[in-house]
Amino acid sequence: MTVDTIKETQPAAQVKKAPVGAVLVCGGGIAGIQASLDLASSGFYVYLVEESPTIGGNMARLDKTFPTGDCATCIISPKVVACMRDLNIEVITMAQVKNLSGEAGNFTATLSVRPRYVNEDKCTGCGDCVERCPVRNVPQEVSAVVVEEALDKKDQDLLDGLVEKHKGDPGALMPVLEAINRIRGYLPRPLLEHAAARLEIPIAQVLTVASFYDKMGFDAPGRHVIQVCNGTSCHSRHSQKLLAALEKRLGVSEGGTDKQGRFTLKTVRCLGLCALSPSMRVDDVSFGRVDISDLDKILGQFK
Amino acid sequence: MSDTVKTSADLDRLAKAGSATLYPGGLKILVGSATCGLAMGAQKVEDAAVATVKKFKADAVVKKTGCIGFCSREPLLDMVLPNGPRISFGNMTPEKTREVLSAYFTNGAVSPEAALGRFTGEDHVLTGESHAYGTIPAAQTIPEWSQLDFMRGQKRIIMRSCGSIDPMSIEEAIARGAYRGALKALTTMKPEQVIEEILASGLRGRGGAYFPTGQKWKFARNAKGDVKYIVCNADEGAPGSSMDRTVIEGDPHAVIEGMIVGSYAIGARQGFVYVRSEYPLAIAILEHAIDEAEKLGLLGKNIFGSGWSFSLSVRRGAGAYVCGEETGLIESIEGHAGEPRARPPFPVTAGLWGKPTVVNNVKTWASVAPILTRGAQWYASMGTKNTTGTTIYSLEGSVNNAGLVEVPFGITLREMIYGMGGGVRDGKACKAVQIGGPSVGCIPPSMLDLAIDSVDIPGKSANMGTGGIIVMDQDSCVVDMTRFLLGFFVDESCGRCTPCREGTKQMYGMLDDIASGRANADTIASLERLSRAMNATAVCGLGNTASGPVANALTHFRDEIDMHIAGRKCPAGVCSMKVKKDCHRGTENAEKTELEVGG
Repeated sequence: MTVDTIKETQPAAQVKKAPVGAVLVCGGGIAGIQASLDLASSGFYVYLVEESPTIGGNMARLDKTFPTGDCATCIISPKVVACMRDLNIEVITMAQVKNLSGEAGNFTATLSVRPRYVNEDKCTGCGDCVERCPVRNVPQEVSAVVVEEALDKKDQDLLDGLVEKHKGDPGALMPVLEAINRIRGYLPRPLLEHAAARLEIPIAQVLTVASFYDKMGFDAPGRHVIQVCNGTSCHSRHSQKLLAALEKRLGVSEGGTDKQGRFTLKTVRCLGLCALSPSMRVDDVSFGRVDISDLDKILGQFK
Repeated sequence: MSDTVKTSADLDRLAKAGSATLYPGGLKILVGSATCGLAMGAQKVEDAAVATVKKFKADAVVKKTGCIGFCSREPLLDMVLPNGPRISFGNMTPEKTREVLSAYFTNGAVSPEAALGRFTGEDHVLTGESHAYGTIPAAQTIPEWSQLDFMRGQKRIIMRSCGSIDPMSIEEAIARGAYRGALKALTTMKPEQVIEEILASGLRGRGGAYFPTGQKWKFARNAKGDVKYIVCNADEGAPGSSMDRTVIEGDPHAVIEGMIVGSYAIGARQGFVYVRSEYPLAIAILEHAIDEAEKLGLLGKNIFGSGWSFSLSVRRGAGAYVCGEETGLIESIEGHAGEPRARPPFPVTAGLWGKPTVVNNVKTWASVAPILTRGAQWYASMGTKNTTGTTIYSLEGSVNNAGLVEVPFGITLREMIYGMGGGVRDGKACKAVQIGGPSVGCIPPSMLDLAIDSVDIPGKSANMGTGGIIVMDQDSCVVDMTRFLLGFFVDESCGRCTPCREGTKQMYGMLDDIASGRANADTIASLERLSRAMNATAVCGLGNTASGPVANALTHFRDEIDMHIAGRKCPAGVCSMKVKKDCHRGTENAEKTELEVGG
């Protein structure tokens, strides 16, 4: 932003009685506002210089104040209004102090004030100019999201099929993510990015949804996924012992994949086999009333 | 299309085809192949049956069926004898299958010792008719199926065809009366009349809240807007319940028919069934059933030539309990994270994509068709005045006959546990019963004699919720169970609102303190305070009720908790009274510090 106007401010030298003179306060945050009000009520003329378009600073953006939890706006609003109304306070916004010369009691400050592009005397703050602004309101070409990494044929076909199947469905994201997760075992990042681009949904939203659901994962699991039921009925029939036995056998803790990449061990909140507890599932094969001595036989079926 | 169903005669034609496979006349072997059966090795039993039939070159068909509910006897194999009864064999193995079948093929022998029960006939609930089986002298000593402890007192309305039909055959469902209710509603009734009929039947939502279904439909019907939706909630996330899975795996058409009727009554052109992804078989069976119904024109455009169109599709969940909450479920179908919305507005006015939406549970939808075919009065004659009809409970834990029981409302827990359930395993005493999903917690045996109504256990802070009944014997600890249930909520809280996100963690921590001997009298006061705060301030039902198990444990099992706190001892010997590693509380560093402190 270029400097358009330079304002010279002179201290009011004619005032004789104490306290005399004027004070320049830099910064229109809560501290600057309060300092200005205090100085003005002590009889000084105050120049309150603020760099941004308005006074209020950070506190005006806060909901609550630490540590009392008081409402921030309720504290600052009356002070802002008082500041603007006080005849002894001159608020100069969009300004920076460029130079300061002189000595204690007699300074000359040089300010650089940026333009507002509106007639400040007539402005009521209605905001219509923003709507009509010929510079700001030029339609911008939205460039299509380009994903750098290309997908391999298999993933591309998978995505094409899913996008085709759910074309025009406003809730397509869930079924698409669920299907990718089910077929690929997890949600590979490139596939997610491509899916986001194809469905025209921001990747951030895709990740929000994907990370919400327990079943969806971002890491490749082992060749087989073991799910130990941790439902209430299974808990009451000692599913914890079953889980511990599996953890020991595979050398991983819950959520981990063994060194050979053969099994990933997970727990699930109820497989719906409550009368056959404790139960577990390997891939899509369920096992009821599992005894720890059966584990060899069960795991042996999955290479 | 020529083969679409338009009239009652078309249904008759399909029913005839269905009867031919349902009651073939020759020997029919049925293997219970729902997820529960398969988990116990039903596939191997079926393979053995097929091989044996082949070996003897016998004239017999081997078919899969759903789960009849007697899960603790899985795998089940049934033989429907030519001109004889249907005989059920439990706890089958491939060896036992070969033995039983070989004996029959060699000399027509049926060993009464191996058999579980004998069916004298099949009730077709939808039509009110029944199919009688024949009798043979050799089988007369086998106890009658309906007189088994497990079956006595049960009334199968929702599970009317589970364990009898091949769930992959729409003809067999039609042979037992399916789609007659939809035909009646769409061709002879106005939508308002359908709603009146449902209102008159007194049907209430089986998802756990027991809101009158007719009312809900009426609200949605009267809501403004042309586009409306209906949803079947099959996100059976509450641990300890498997009835929704069983109904879909055993009789998917019960749900589809209910939804067709509902769509017509409400004015919804599109429906979704939201099934949790932990139920892959249920999803496969349901998708197949929808395909079959579409081919016959029972779904799609101009159903029964009535001009009414309705399409139905399956949506899979992805492992989030909170999606069982209707607004969380709606968010999920819309393609968002399943975080519940603040209500009001309720889904009946602004649900899916802001349109009026009715969300009902699987059991509710499955109850609709019989009300239409048999009448509201017939339905209202079952159950209690306040809550009519039947519902399914899942009996499990330390009970002899674990499985699903469908009973009229008004029954007591004692009748179920000691009657159908055959009492506590190994002759132990019942110490507590965990009911209603994780949000209720444990109730003491002194409450077993209260009749279950929709508010369930009247005047007590417990309700049957989703219907899981987990029997705990003396060897289990209420503190441990309560902590386990809170751990569930810690995992499943979506994190949107602070009372639930932080409250569940703090409660879990306090219960962990009790279970590991670090608690003092203040812990209880804090638990009580927190539990009140969460109940009052959480956004959705999950957070409101997460404190339920704690409240019930404090009310009913104060002695046991005091023993943990004052005596630093777990009477059942379950709690280690040492600091556990898998603490849900705090960061990793905090856990480490705690571990050092605890030694």
